[in-house]
Amino acid sequence: MNHKGGWALIKSSWLSWMQYRSFFFILAFGWMIPPLIYMLVWSGAAGAGSLGGLTSQEFIAYYLLLILVNQLTYSQTNWTVGDVIRMGSINHWLLRPMPPLYNPLASEVAGKVVTMVFVLPISSVLALVLHPELHTSWDRVGLALLALAFAWLLRFFWGYWLALLAFWTTRADALLALQDSLVFLLAGVVAPVWMLPAGLKAAANGLPFRFMVGFPIEVLMGQVSGQALFIGFGVQTLWAAAAVIISTIVWWLGLRRYAAIGG
Amino acid sequence: MVYLRLIAQFIRASIMEETSYRVNFWINLLHSLLNLTTGVLGVYILFAQIERVNGWGFPAALAVLGVYLTIQALRNLFIGPSLDILAGMDGEVWSGNLDFTLVRPVNIQFLASFRRWHLFALFDLILGLGVLVFAVVRMHEALTLPNIGLFLLTLVAATGILYAILLAFSALVFWSPGVMFTWIFDGVFQLGRYPLGLYPGWVRLALTWIIPVGVITTIPAQALSGDLSMNQLALILLMSVVLVFCASLFFKAALRRYASASS
Amino acid sequence: MTSASIQPVILVRNLTKTYRVPVRESGLGASIKSMIKRAYSEVEAVRTINFSIEAGEMVGFIGPNGAGKTTTMKMLSGILYPTSGDINVLGYIPMERHPAFLRRISMVLGNKSQMLWDIPPLDTFRILGEIYGLSAANYRQTLDELVGLLGMEDLLKKPVRNLSLGEKMKCELAAGLLHRPAVLFLDEPTLGLDISIQRRMRDFLKEYNRRYGVTVLLTSHYIADVMALCPRVILIHCGKLIYDGELQGLAQTLAPFKLLRLTLNQENASVGHFDLPYSAEIVERENSHLTLRVAREAAPAAVSYLLTSFTVSDLTIEDPPIEAVIDRIYQEGSV
Repeated sequence: MNHKGGWALIKSSWLSWMQYRSFFFILAFGWMIPPLIYMLVWSGAAGAGSLGGLTSQEFIAYYLLLILVNQLTYSQTNWTVGDVIRMGSINHWLLRPMPPLYNPLASEVAGKVVTMVFVLPISSVLALVLHPELHTSWDRVGLALLALAFAWLLRFFWGYWLALLAFWTTRADALLALQDSLVFLLAGVVAPVWMLPAGLKAAANGLPFRFMVGFPIEVLMGQVSGQALFIGFGVQTLWAAAAVIISTIVWWLGLRRYAAIGG
Repeated sequence: MVYLRLIAQFIRASIMEETSYRVNFWINLLHSLLNLTTGVLGVYILFAQIERVNGWGFPAALAVLGVYLTIQALRNLFIGPSLDILAGMDGEVWSGNLDFTLVRPVNIQFLASFRRWHLFALFDLILGLGVLVFAVVRMHEALTLPNIGLFLLTLVAATGILYAILLAFSALVFWSPGVMFTWIFDGVFQLGRYPLGLYPGWVRLALTWIIPVGVITTIPAQALSGDLSMNQLALILLMSVVLVFCASLFFKAALRRYASASS
Repeated sequence: MTSASIQPVILVRNLTKTYRVPVRESGLGASIKSMIKRAYSEVEAVRTINFSIEAGEMVGFIGPNGAGKTTTMKMLSGILYPTSGDINVLGYIPMERHPAFLRRISMVLGNKSQMLWDIPPLDTFRILGEIYGLSAANYRQTLDELVGLLGMEDLLKKPVRNLSLGEKMKCELAAGLLHRPAVLFLDEPTLGLDISIQRRMRDFLKEYNRRYGVTVLLTSHYIADVMALCPRVILIHCGKLIYDGELQGLAQTLAPFKLLRLTLNQENASVGHFDLPYSAEIVERENSHLTLRVAREAAPAAVSYLLTSFTVSDLTIEDPPIEAVIDRIYQEGSV
């Protein structure tokens, strides 16, 4: 594989995006808002006592972590993949002497760096002002990082195959909006997953969305342990593997269709 | 009268533009339903855990959500789409097509505010009002004529405030083309999904006096359920008039600045 | 406004425009630095320009990219404010953007569109009719005339996005002329069009100007446009006006040389070398056909020398082609 070329791609995406950094800062700001709202609402509702097993300060910790995890796993790239296919700029991807997947991956990495420049200072300030409280252990930190890596893999490839449907239909990005709504409801944004009403909780545990955002935080805060932890990692791995396989299949089918019909 | 006839022409052209892509209808429907579902579930999940927060119960909070959805619908009916032509992504300030707008012999603020209509938002308007009426009935409040009158009055004032803020944020684009200032406001506006009373004191103050999002959604909801004080009524009316006036002045200044600074 | 009839339609005095542009160096370091503080530099887009244009004139506004043509046009139409200097168009000060002024000017831009993309041109025209406050009868009559002149009857009901570039340009012109402006600013109207559509556009503009006496200021990089339409050109370079007059005069004043084309008798041609007089150079040589370049003032003497020294079967004296002259001015930046 052409790693030098990949690095050059990342660098050039980063460079051109720093020109539009305000755009990315605003995007990142927009993504921070729902967790912030629910941080205020839940920590306020918990008041001096506790709610669903969390105190007011623990809610703050949960949602600060959620802001970071959501930012790290959110794949803004997939919103543009559809445009790339529709406008025919995918020809550039295909002409370069490197695997086409490098292009979205490069913008993914570059985008993460640009948004983190914004998100890290803000969440640090919030942490200083709001005094979050977090009880964890090094074991859980290690497991949570592993869960975070899988969460990114799952969320990126899940969005990628949805975006690749642009080979067949012009408005595939509507499915990405649907995914965002499901993440909002089932991945621990509107409330930590263990606090959801029974029906939604069952859906969250079976569907992939919880494993894109909420799961690593649950692991870190010790909300899943023992058998549940084992099952959780199992389900997450299965969904991640499925996402990679589906993406590969959709890519090849899409490319065959593109080659047959043209852009 | 000239302006009313122009609006009629703009609506006519907007309908033609929107219906030229049939798939848009289904996408709009999907977005409307997602917006309704996530909004209602967001309130429902909170009150499934706790009966009252700071004196606010489920139906009262749902009424605020109803106003939020209603005002969003009004915004998406014409304010948002029109201002987007000017200051949105690939908007006229960015692309340079503003030149044509500037040589028109009509008021530019009028053109910028009324030229694109998204009639599908009328469906969202019905959904929003539906949520509102459902909530008020659940509160066991009678819908009296005076309350409905007060509600409509405060709703118009609230829409005025929202319009003023969006106009001012759009005008900022003349200083930094390509920056999506209205997206920043959209993020903050989401805080209006919940009653002001749910937030900590400093957020409440900021949402009343700095960016009056709380005023926009909470006051009309209270008007319909008969909980409106004279002070609140005076506040929202005065705020609306003052903000619309100031935003218009600011917009004029922004146009002047464009003419003297750009190339 | 009786003075308007005596005054020229466009009067520009000491016009200057300066604006700020962000400066950025390449590379990662500079990119991070620019996050904190952006550097700006001042650019003088237009420097003390003076000219005036009479009613009904068609004037070509030429100069290389970035010379300040578009900036000047935007100031004339009231879109941009001048940094200093005076402009008077049709008796109005453009930057005041008086509705009565705006109703009498129009702008057609080759690289931008005022048409609504997804709907047929007729519907954009209808909106423009309302914006410019045209009466129904007036609107109908003007539209019919324009549609006839431009030959666009069958375009009116197709969505604009489905039209070809040439068809779109017809729509832009019709949209720009619907309110019968007295002054028309045309910026690169033939950009990207094929030869025969370019010619049809020129014929249309010429005919429209003849019929309605509209004053036209035209920028174009196609000299053919300017030659066909504009008896007068204004040339600006780096924001400065460097020529204002007839297009043909441009070659005479600006090109300091003449081209001599001569055909020699066969015997002389075979000699193979010439003793060239008066610092003349051979530009082209093909058998007995020769093209020489001679300094303008030396041309008569060179001709008489050639005629006495060689047996010449044919000789013509020409100005260099206008494109070549303009190319030299653009490159050298001065006359």
